[in-house]
Amino acid sequence: MTIRTTLTATVATAAIATAGAAFADGHSPMRIGITQNNVGVDSYQTTYEQAFIAAAEANDNVEVVVLDAGGDVARQIAQMEDLIQQEVDAIIIWPTNGEAVIPAVRKAAQADIPVVVTNSNIAEAGFDFVASFSGPDNITQGSRSAEIMCDRFKALGIENEAQVVQISGQPGYTTAIERAKGFEDRLPEVCPNVTLLETQPGDWNREKSQQVMEAFLVKYDDIDGVYAGDDNMGVGALNAANAAGRTEGITFVGATNFAVGYEAMERGEYWGSIYQSPVDDAEAALKTAIDLLNGEELPFLNYFDTPKITQDNMSEFTKPVF
Amino acid sequence: MATLSKQDIGKILARQGILIAFAFFIIGFTLANGRFLSPDNVMGVIRSSAILGVMALGVTFVVISGNLDLSVGSMMSFSTIVVLDLHDKIGPALAIPAMFAMTLCLGAFIGFLVGYLKLNSLIVTLGMLSAIHGLTLTYSGGQNMDIADKDGTWFDVFGQGTALGIPVPILIFLALAALLGIVLAKTPFGRKVYAVGGNGTAATFSGIKRARTVFLCYLMSAGCVATAGLIQASRSMGSQNTVGQGLELEVLAAVILGGASLLGGSGTIFKTVIGVLILGFIQNGLLLVGLQFYVQFVVTWIIIILAVWLDIAAKRGKLWSNIA
Repeated sequence: MTIRTTLTATVATAAIATAGAAFADGHSPMRIGITQNNVGVDSYQTTYEQAFIAAAEANDNVEVVVLDAGGDVARQIAQMEDLIQQEVDAIIIWPTNGEAVIPAVRKAAQADIPVVVTNSNIAEAGFDFVASFSGPDNITQGSRSAEIMCDRFKALGIENEAQVVQISGQPGYTTAIERAKGFEDRLPEVCPNVTLLETQPGDWNREKSQQVMEAFLVKYDDIDGVYAGDDNMGVGALNAANAAGRTEGITFVGATNFAVGYEAMERGEYWGSIYQSPVDDAEAALKTAIDLLNGEELPFLNYFDTPKITQDNMSEFTKPVF
Repeated sequence: MATLSKQDIGKILARQGILIAFAFFIIGFTLANGRFLSPDNVMGVIRSSAILGVMALGVTFVVISGNLDLSVGSMMSFSTIVVLDLHDKIGPALAIPAMFAMTLCLGAFIGFLVGYLKLNSLIVTLGMLSAIHGLTLTYSGGQNMDIADKDGTWFDVFGQGTALGIPVPILIFLALAALLGIVLAKTPFGRKVYAVGGNGTAATFSGIKRARTVFLCYLMSAGCVATAGLIQASRSMGSQNTVGQGLELEVLAAVILGGASLLGGSGTIFKTVIGVLILGFIQNGLLLVGLQFYVQFVVTWIIIILAVWLDIAAKRGKLWSNIA
């Protein structure tokens, strides 16, 4: 059930019209195609697309074809085939599904078109056909969240008895699995005496997380920390704690700092998160493709940095736009 | 007290199969976790269920009239996003009626297509599920919607307020259930809904305006969805575009669980309320028991299917059907 916005088509035409006008040093510009996951479904992806188009427009040597799969695997595969037909110089793909797009990625590789995977990687079986992955390191994000949580417990002097619950992302999603793994592996290393009481999924959904947190609050009398797979869910958990009058004394840590999370930090209710900018994400993807076409050597996993943000250092960051 | 004969017990069972199933769940979960029946938890579950419940009340009318409504999930996302957006632009007092008007227009459109043009309700509402989702995204540009000044507004009363110690969402749900229960059971309109769903042709020959009845059912459904969107928006004071995604099936499950026939003509508001509560308590109970979440999906639906079986078995007085 994924018939979604097709606004992208018009946006793409506009982008080509502006970016394609310039020629550098008499060479024709690099033509880079991108097929995105689902623009418009959330603010992150919407901002990503805007930033990507802006970055391409700023670079005279680049011409981009911007497509959106609308969350539909079949449409994404068709778009990959279109881009191969158009003989673009490189393809950037934000996979709708880590497994199902592999054959299409292989087809591009066989046509000698380098493929950059952006934001979320495809399954390992397809790595041979991928030139480079550009995106956040979700395992590192999870472990950084664990460090933020542990540091806070130490500051509060409860690092030897604190109890934590985790609200993870949608079951089966790589991002959700990796963040949970990073957090679960790192927490006992930095705070060996902290107990992770229970993990339940909040499905990236604020309302669902609120319900999960309500159940946790009924079940456990003593919760010192909540780790949520992103701030949207973290704020849902915070709402539940506020309604139960138990926010005081709970350290909330999330990931992918959203505007709502940033605001809750300003109010002093939410402790910290991981700052992941869709603008950085989009620019990194485009830069990776350009560097590849310029023949530069790149690591296979080309991560962009996602720093820790807490109430202590938040003034160094601008409020997220999403 | 007179002793009950075996037949009498059978009759009671037949009428209340779903209530008995409900009682089993409650006992089972209470044994598994003592806090399940604590006042805080019970209140919490009913409050969480209120949004689904309000939507299910409207869908009950649609289902009894012999139609389906799969659009309620994305329609709820639409109302939530619209009321949150308008809240900051024109203030809550105007935003709420404006959102109701827009949602009712969507309901009227669906009602027109299904009622007057006699298009298949499954196809129409399946199409509207996607179309309204697209409409919501176009409206919001894909951005999350949040109320800027969360402390300086009375808008939180619908989702977070309490009156007489009871959360407002529960009061809205129960008041609406009582009102619509009376409309369905005691008014000429209610009887027309049953007649249209039970035997549309006979209803038409009896002088019932079938198209108009179906149209009004969808309008009521949209009104319920708008109310649910209002509670949702007020509860979290901000929302994603996908907040109602997937709720259409949960709503339908609750209505069917309550014993309404998908073929139309039977069902009551009271039983829908029981269906909603069963769904809510199953989900909460499994969380409290602490089952792995993959297992929860499976167990939830096994329990639902068992409950429906128990209900049907009670109605026909035996577990198996005679017709092979």
